[in-house]
This record gives sequence, structure tokens and C-alpha cells, in this order.
Amino acid sequence: MNKRLLRDLGLEIWLPIVLVVVWWFASASSTSFYFPPLSKIMESFAADWLDPTQAFDNLLPSLALLGMGYGLALVSGVVIGTLFGLVTPLEEAARPVLEFLRAIPGVALLPVFIVLFGIDQPMKVLLIAFGSFWPVFLNTVDGVRGIEPLLLDVAGVFRLGRARRLFSIILPGASPQIFAGARTALAISLIIMVVAETVGGSGGVGYFLLDAQRNFRVQSMWGAIIALGILGYLLNIAFRIIERLVLRWHRLQQARLESNS
Amino acid sequence: MSTSPSAVAPATASERAPRPARQPRAGRTRRLVTQLGAVALAFLVWWVASFTLPIGVMPSPVATFVRLGALASVPEFWAAFGTTVATFAAALAFCTVVGIPLGLAIGSSSFATQSTRLVFDFLRTIPPIAILPLVLLTIGANFQMVLTLTILGAIWPILIQSIYAARQGEALLVEMATSYQVPRGWFIRHIFFPGALPFVMTGLRIGTTICLLLTITGELLGGAPGLGFEIADAQAFYDNERMYAYVIVSAALGLLVNAGFYALQRRLLRWHPSVRREDAR
Amino acid sequence: MTITGSKGKARDEGAVPSSVALEASGLGHAYKGREVLGSIDFAVRRGEFVCIVGPSGVGQTTLLRCLAGLQRSTRGQVLVKGTAITEPVRGVAVVFQDYSRSLMPWASVRDNVTLPLRANGTPKVEANRIAAESLAQVGLDEHVSDLYPWQLSGGMQQRVAIARALAYGPEVMLMDEPFASVDAQTRADLEDLVRRLQRDLELTVILVTHDIDEAVYLSDRVIALAGKPAHVSDIVDVPLGADRDQIGTKGTPEFAEIRAAVHGLIRRKDDAVS
Repeated sequence: MNKRLLRDLGLEIWLPIVLVVVWWFASASSTSFYFPPLSKIMESFAADWLDPTQAFDNLLPSLALLGMGYGLALVSGVVIGTLFGLVTPLEEAARPVLEFLRAIPGVALLPVFIVLFGIDQPMKVLLIAFGSFWPVFLNTVDGVRGIEPLLLDVAGVFRLGRARRLFSIILPGASPQIFAGARTALAISLIIMVVAETVGGSGGVGYFLLDAQRNFRVQSMWGAIIALGILGYLLNIAFRIIERLVLRWHRLQQARLESNS
Repeated sequence: MSTSPSAVAPATASERAPRPARQPRAGRTRRLVTQLGAVALAFLVWWVASFTLPIGVMPSPVATFVRLGALASVPEFWAAFGTTVATFAAALAFCTVVGIPLGLAIGSSSFATQSTRLVFDFLRTIPPIAILPLVLLTIGANFQMVLTLTILGAIWPILIQSIYAARQGEALLVEMATSYQVPRGWFIRHIFFPGALPFVMTGLRIGTTICLLLTITGELLGGAPGLGFEIADAQAFYDNERMYAYVIVSAALGLLVNAGFYALQRRLLRWHPSVRREDAR
Repeated sequence: MTITGSKGKARDEGAVPSSVALEASGLGHAYKGREVLGSIDFAVRRGEFVCIVGPSGVGQTTLLRCLAGLQRSTRGQVLVKGTAITEPVRGVAVVFQDYSRSLMPWASVRDNVTLPLRANGTPKVEANRIAAESLAQVGLDEHVSDLYPWQLSGGMQQRVAIARALAYGPEVMLMDEPFASVDAQTRADLEDLVRRLQRDLELTVILVTHDIDEAVYLSDRVIALAGKPAHVSDIVDVPLGADRDQIGTKGTPEFAEIRAAVHGLIRRKDDAVS
């Protein structure tokens, strides 16, 4: 058992290690301005992202922005999605308008949002929220509409009140779909966060990138790319842990279904 | 939602059978009317907002569409539109042609799958926008830069879903090989590909959305020619009518791409039971 | 006293109204312009076990949903203790055929069983106590409470669904083909379980089934549905006594006779239609 685990671990990490080593030595003697040696990249990565004060300056504004924008998208997506999922005529009537709004590439709205809401924090939060709202909303609508009809019959027979019907049947039933949407939304909100931060001067990863680009600090740009990769990776892991906890029943049930078929 | 369950669950037992392909005429007409009503309402809100908000923030729908009409007769408009469509199409084609075969190949081997998992997982989570400054510096504000950015962002979902698709097929292969004497070519053609297709399509759908998003983003932030640049340019000149007109064109392009994708999916996966669930998303 | 089909209804209703637990009066249902149920009339006494039997696709599920108040019939009405209902009412519980879909997969067995209790505001401790009691009544150990329903066998899942109905404290229990999805041995066990519960708790049970043997074995009376749209072909008394067992009772000549009679009722109407 332990041996197998070790073998699996080895299989998963040999290639990343090889790639990093190859990158390290292949770039060691690089004199290219754009592709500096990995050692130099790691130096600026350590300076910009591992030094606590620097890291806080660069990361905290980003995380705060992401939390607010993504949080707003989650809450509004689930609430409005549940409403539209339950009231079918509403969803049907609004479908063309929603399809149109959804089709706008989120970043294309940056100039519009600047004109409407200015260049400060509220605009950035709203832009992130607008872009990542759609996957949450659409998946919630589908999840709510896809609730097992027999369970709604059960709710009817035992005369569940509105609130209990919502919290005991509808939201738990839709939760796997809602999580699927929330996962897509997380990736989108990360992109829009970086874009939004290139506007104005309130710090954050996006601003850092822009600043590095303006001053031709290529090593810092590479360091920021690595930092953003790690940030995205960590956020993804955090998301998966929450998902595994909340959807424990779903994961176990799926595993059972697969092993039976 | 009253205590009557019918308000919540329009699907009663007798209706639980698959939805009829065609709705009764009366229902369809009513839906069309409500949908037109909703569109009209959206325009009304826009129109009211256009004179309620401070002057110049939001042009009226009429002004915007008049401007859009005027733009449509200008060659620059079509040049920008063409560039965006071409970049998007080229990036998507590249991701498809490279991502799917590569993904299927990797997924067919459990060694390759496990070995590459961490690498692809990491590369996928880098927000593609992070590499914009780098490609902008190295390549410049042009078509090739946007293409590079878009490919580097959109290939991951396609690649990873293709790997996943092949994993599903490989599990089947092992089972089939032990129970039947099936020629490998026949298996690949009739079992492996059809089985993998739905998963590949999921990746392709996500990839398509990202392709368009990144194409416009690259143009908008990187200043490369195309619809995104026009939006940023209009904003720089405080020409809000032009800006809104171009946003509408981008959305229309998005709609067109979505519609095209669903049509393709419907054709390719008509036979597959998962198509309805996938469709819903 | 016998309560028979449409012709005898008015008379019996007048005679002993207080003993009628549930009644269908001129019940008819059309879906998308197609008649599913014709005019259905019958009354079920308190503490009676009645099976509604008919060939597949004659709309038993629609009938049961109307009786439960889950669906409004297009004609006629359903009366529970003399009052016409338009939505599910207190005291009527339903057990559905498909336990895998009618139990909440995200909730433990305990939470599934306490659902109807928590819905009426029963305190948690009290609800858990009643749930444990209901689970014991259907022969399930305490230790299954913490499992998810889909971790149990089909027969055990249906027991959970029955326990949930019992926890509601019903006077009338409606069952829609409750044993159609389990194997033969489990089915026999569950049949005996439901018969025992019905007698011990003095429940009124209305059970829909396709299986004539099951209908005759379980019930005090069999309501035979036939035709398209479905209507009551006839109502047959089952005087097999209170003590029945799977092998002995099913081997008696009386059983065979009643079974043949019911079979004839369903078949005859079927042939007449086709």
C-alpha cells in the first residue's frame, strides 16, 4: 500500500522536476533579455513574493478584490439563479436578454464599467462579479430545474414550508451543479481580477505586472507569472477541499454508481 | 410558490416523460411574446438610464444603433471585425488540432497521464492574462501576440478534457480486451472515439469561450488591432456611442459562436444520452 | 357492508359517512387533451387495506397523485374524511415506487426520516426519537441512521421510505407500487411488513400495483381498473381473513378464485378496448 503511494507520487512529480531542472540549466547561460536564467527569475520571485511585507503589499489587495467580486458573483448567482430556476416563465422570457449579456466577453466591459463606475474598487468588484456571475447563475438555474421531481412530490406530501423546501430539498439537490459553476467562475474571476487591477493604482498583482511591463523588468514579470500560477493552484486546492467536504455525499454516491456499473 | 407543489414542479408524473420535441403552437407563441417583451423592457431600461445618468455616460439605444449602422459602412469596422474573427478562429483551430490528438494520446497511457498531471494542472491555473505583458514585450502589439496569448490560455481545458476522455476510453479498452476478441482498429473507431467525444466536446466548449474572451482581451489591453482595440480606442476618445456599438458587436460575435457550437454539438452528439444534460449548460 | 363502484356509492356514503377515510368521487383526468382517467368512484373505510390494480399504463400513478393531492384532477374530487382536498393534507402519507429517487441522497437515513417532522416544527431531539421508533417499526437497526440511503440495499431503502411515512403519523398511507423495484424475497418480506404495520397501527392503506397476486394477498378489497381511459371495472371483496402467510394463503382455493376473478376483470376490459 505504502509502496504504491510512493510509486504514484514518483510518477506525478518526476516530470515537473525534470522540466524545472532542464529550464534551470538551459537558461543558465541565457543572455536573452526576454528569457532570463531561471536563477534570476527565482531571485526576483523571492524578493517580490516571499518577503512578507512585499508579498502583503502585492497580494492582499488582490485577494480582497477577488474575495469581494467572486463572493458577490456567488451570492447573486445562486439567489437569482434559484429564483429563475423556480419560476420557469421568468427564465423563458428573460432567456434572449440573458444569452446576450452572457455572450459579452467580460473584459470588453472594462471600458464601459470605467465610464459607468469610475476606476476605483467598486468598479473592479462589479466587473469581476459580472464576469463570474454567469457560470454560477446558469448552473444554478439548471441545477434547480433538474431537481428530482419525485423529491418535490415528497416535499408536497409532507407539506414542507417554502423555506424548508428551499433549504432541505432544492439547494442541496442543486449543489453539485452550483459547485461546477462556482469552479468555472473562480478561474474567470482570477483573470478579470488581473485585468481590473491594471486600471488605477491601488496595487495588487495586476498593477505589479503592469508596472513591471512599463519598466521592462522582465524578471519580475516572470516571477509574477509563477506567483499567479501558485496563487491559482492554491485557490483551486482550497476550492476542491471545500467541495469535497460539502459534496461528500455526491462524491461517495458517484463512486458507488461507477463501481456498480 | 404556494403550498401546492404544482407551482414548483411543473413536471408532474404524466409529464415526466422526455419533453416533447415541439411545443404546442399556443405555448410557443406565448413564449415568443414574453421574450419580445423582455427584450423591449431591457431596451426601455437602457433608454431610461441613458438620460437619467450623467450626460455622456450612456448613449441612448437609438444613438448607439444609428452609430452601429454608420460603422457598418466603414471598411475599418470590417477590418477590425475580420481580424478578431480570424484570430479567434486560428487560435481555436490550433488548440483543436494540437490539443485533442495530444490529449487523447497522453490519456491512452496511464504513465503519460500521471506524469503530466501536475504540469498541466499548474499551467492551467495560471491566469492567461498574466503572460500578456511578456508576450507584448517579446512579440509586440499585433495579431501574432493575440494569437499566442489566446492559444496559451485556451489549450489547457481542451487538452485536459481530451486526456480525461481517453482515460474513460482506456478503461473500456481493458474491459473489452479481456471479454471479447475485438480488433483494435474497430474498437478505436466504434467504441473509443464515440465514447471520448462528449468529454472532448466539454473541453472544446470551455476552450471556445476562453478563446473569444482572450482574443478580445489581448486586443483591448495589448492594443493589437481588432474589436477589443476599437473598444479601448473609443473609450480613450470619450466616444461612448462607438464604444457601446463595438461592445454590442463583440456580444453578437459571442452569441454567434455559442450558437455555432451548440449546433455542432447537436450534430455530433445527437445519439448520446448525455447530450441533453450537456446542452442544458 | 360493502362499498362498491359508482352505483353503490351514494347509498353507502349516506349510511356510514364517518367511517370513510378517503373517497374518490367522479374523478377524471385529462392530460394534453387525452383522457387518462375516466370517471373513478370508490370509498375506502378507516383501517381498510385496499389495492388498486390494473394493467400497466392505465394511469394508476396519476390516480394516486390525485388521491395524495399532488395533482389536481380535471374532473371530480377527492375527499379526505368528507372534505374535498386541493393539495396534500395532514394525515396522508405517500410511499413512492422509486426509493432511489424519493429519498434525499445528500441526507442521512435519520435526516430523511425526520424530514416530515422537522417540517412541522418538531424539536430535533423529539424528531430523532420518533425517527428511531419508526425505523425500529420497519425492522431497521439504529446503526443505519447515520448512513446515506444509497449505502443500503434496495429493500432497506424502501423500509426507510416507509419509516419516513410512519414518522409523519399518518391515518392514510398511499403506496405507489412500493415493491416493484426489489427482488422477490425482499418483496414478500416487505408485503408482510406493510400488512403487519397496517394492522398494528390501524392504518388505512391504499396500494397501487400491477401484480394481481400481491393485490389479493394484501388487501381487504381489490379495486380493478381497466380500459382507456381507466375506470373502475369492479371492486372485489377479499374475505381471506386477517391472518395470512405467503405460502399458505396463496395456496388456498379461495385465493385462486379471487385472483382469477380479478384477472378476468382486467383482461376483459382490456380486450374490449383493443
